[in-house]
Amino acid sequence: MSGLNGLFGIGSNALATFQRALSVTGQNIANVNTPGYSRQEIILNETLPENGRPGQIGTGVEASEVRRSVDTFVEQQLLNSNERLGQFNASQSALTQIQPLFSDSNDQGVAAGLNDFFKAWQDVATNPADLTSRTVLLSKADVVAKRLNQAATQLSSQRNALDGQIQQGITDVNSLATQIAGLNGQIKLAEVGGQNANDLRDQRGQLLNNLAGLIDITSLEDSTGQVTVSVGIGQVLVAQQTAFRLTGVSNASNSGLLDVRYDNGSGPNTDLTAVISSGRLKGLIDARDTTATGLQTSLNTLASQIVTQVNQQHRLGYGLDGSTTQDFFTASGTTAATISVALTDRRQIAASSTAAGVPGNNVNALAIATLQTTALSGLGNATFQDYYSAMAGSFGSTLKGAQDDLQGQELLHGQLQAHRAEVSGVSMDEELINLLKYQRAFQAASKLITTSDEMLQTILSLKQ
Amino acid sequence: MRVADQQIYGTLLGNLQRSRSQILTAQEQISSQKRVETPSDDPSAFGQIVLGKSALAQNTQWTRNIDFGTARVDAADQALGQSQNLITRVRELTIQAASDTTSAEGRNTIAKEVRQIQRQLIQLGNTEVAGQAIFAGTKTDVTPFTITSGDTVAYQGNSETQSIAVSENQTVQILIPGSSIFTGSSTNIFDSLRDLLTALEGNDRNGIQTGLGNLDLATAQISDAQGTVGALGNRLQITHDALDTANLTISKSISDNQDADLATAITQLRLQEVAVQASSEAFSRIFDTSLLNYLR
Repeated sequence: MSGLNGLFGIGSNALATFQRALSVTGQNIANVNTPGYSRQEIILNETLPENGRPGQIGTGVEASEVRRSVDTFVEQQLLNSNERLGQFNASQSALTQIQPLFSDSNDQGVAAGLNDFFKAWQDVATNPADLTSRTVLLSKADVVAKRLNQAATQLSSQRNALDGQIQQGITDVNSLATQIAGLNGQIKLAEVGGQNANDLRDQRGQLLNNLAGLIDITSLEDSTGQVTVSVGIGQVLVAQQTAFRLTGVSNASNSGLLDVRYDNGSGPNTDLTAVISSGRLKGLIDARDTTATGLQTSLNTLASQIVTQVNQQHRLGYGLDGSTTQDFFTASGTTAATISVALTDRRQIAASSTAAGVPGNNVNALAIATLQTTALSGLGNATFQDYYSAMAGSFGSTLKGAQDDLQGQELLHGQLQAHRAEVSGVSMDEELINLLKYQRAFQAASKLITTSDEMLQTILSLKQ
Repeated sequence: MRVADQQIYGTLLGNLQRSRSQILTAQEQISSQKRVETPSDDPSAFGQIVLGKSALAQNTQWTRNIDFGTARVDAADQALGQSQNLITRVRELTIQAASDTTSAEGRNTIAKEVRQIQRQLIQLGNTEVAGQAIFAGTKTDVTPFTITSGDTVAYQGNSETQSIAVSENQTVQILIPGSSIFTGSSTNIFDSLRDLLTALEGNDRNGIQTGLGNLDLATAQISDAQGTVGALGNRLQITHDALDTANLTISKSISDNQDADLATAITQLRLQEVAVQASSEAFSRIFDTSLLNYLR
């Protein structure tokens, strides 16, 4: 329909289109700081021309699509980066909480306690008849035992705390899965009607990123725009609009701590604990079941060696009261949690190697004091101090590694986010220019309508 | 390249956070003066610190042992020196008594002095340090030499010795049992004195001559013990000096591993402060160039 009416049509179409364009610009400006928001742009098309003479005549403009600017490759990389970021973050913070165990630089740790213990033995060896040095020895022995007890308690309460965080992680995974399944439905509904579900997709992308921060996932989008999310080794967590669950199941052979199990509807039967390879849950599980457990084992070995070596030698000697074959440490307490001093009477400390040599004979006390510098086969041919120092050093390396990993990943993640922003981020300058551009176009389109109106007036006035 | 606002803010925030965190680390190092406080600060250095502290504790303890031993050995040395003087005095008196010109009465007078000296010698044999006898072997809780009847002295101690640890796998003896000094291997000094007293009071010139011979043996026996004690004292002193030197080396190594290098830490602090200022400056510049400032 050419002619004046056509001109009206072009003008009113243009007005509507530019108004829509301004709305999109407004949406971009408003969401400049919204996490996960992808910049939208309006795609303008010429409408179908009309045939006429001398040739086809245009009929104006229309908005064919509101398109979301995303680079799926960068999005996928961000997802992976989120997995590792979650893992390293969890590792780093869990290990940092364990670290106070090694307060040796302030002479508060197990090593310092051991030093004092053996020093006290030397004092007894030097002056075996002196009761004061014997009292000191008993109290220093108690300090060593208490420090080990405390370390064991700290470790097991750390493991329990980590277990609580794992439970929280499982709850979060389930809640995210449910939300993603819900959004799948909404997106499908919107897009089946030919709409672009831009904002819903942004929301779902954000949820997927949060989920990846918790556990390693694989996500695939089907032709209806719904994503299938799998965890572990292909266990489907979200299938279209159905969410399956992870459950924490207490494992009796792991101090009753939780295994992460997958429930496909028929019960929590698939154990994923060892299969999870990334994300916050991986960091927590590693700290709980590898680092903390390793430290527990090492401390137990140390405690057991202290108890057996000291007892073995102590039983050979004689106390001031003639007592012999006495255990110094309680023989049954051979773990860090249970080590305790058996002797209560300082006179029973067996410094002498002979019954007749009491009180001045110190041969047995010297032999026990020498244990400090003896390489023990039970500790892999290391001395107590060597063993402890290696244990602290190896823990330090693990934590340092986690810190370095985290720092590296944060840098990488920053770059990926910059990449994402380059494609999907809102540039205020750009939006302001668009704002002016569409405003001017809107003004011009209005002018088109007033001009057509004036022309119509002119024609109508011909009749008078 | 498109530059989105997020990139500007994100980059700025990231840089500021990194600088701030490094400022914090530098500040911690400056205020605690320690570079390594936890294993993760420097895992291998931390291991070295633990071992260094253990070595230092051992050394301190050995030094302590040596101080204790030195007191015993010095006391023994002193007592032996005095004993030697007493024996010399007895010898002079005995030579005097052995002289033809000395009367029976004179020998009786000499006997009185010799008896006095014998009692002093018993006291020296019972020397105690901090309430413990040093010549009783390991029976440190007994009085080693007591008079059983008349001038007869019996040894109550045993013949065990005590050694203390002075460095890795090294011990030094700090006790010499009285049985090897006074009632010892070649002559029993107290028996000799008793016999001498009997001879003096009995005006027995032959007995006095025998006593003189025994006194020479006694002098040799105590000299021997003095030599042993002197050597022990010497070993303790030398080990003490060696430990002092080692202490310095170990302390230095701990300090090298653990202590913050203030110059580096302060330089780092300044550097990061400048970085924070520069980032902030850059931010305000970027803000100024925003199109918003030009649209009216």
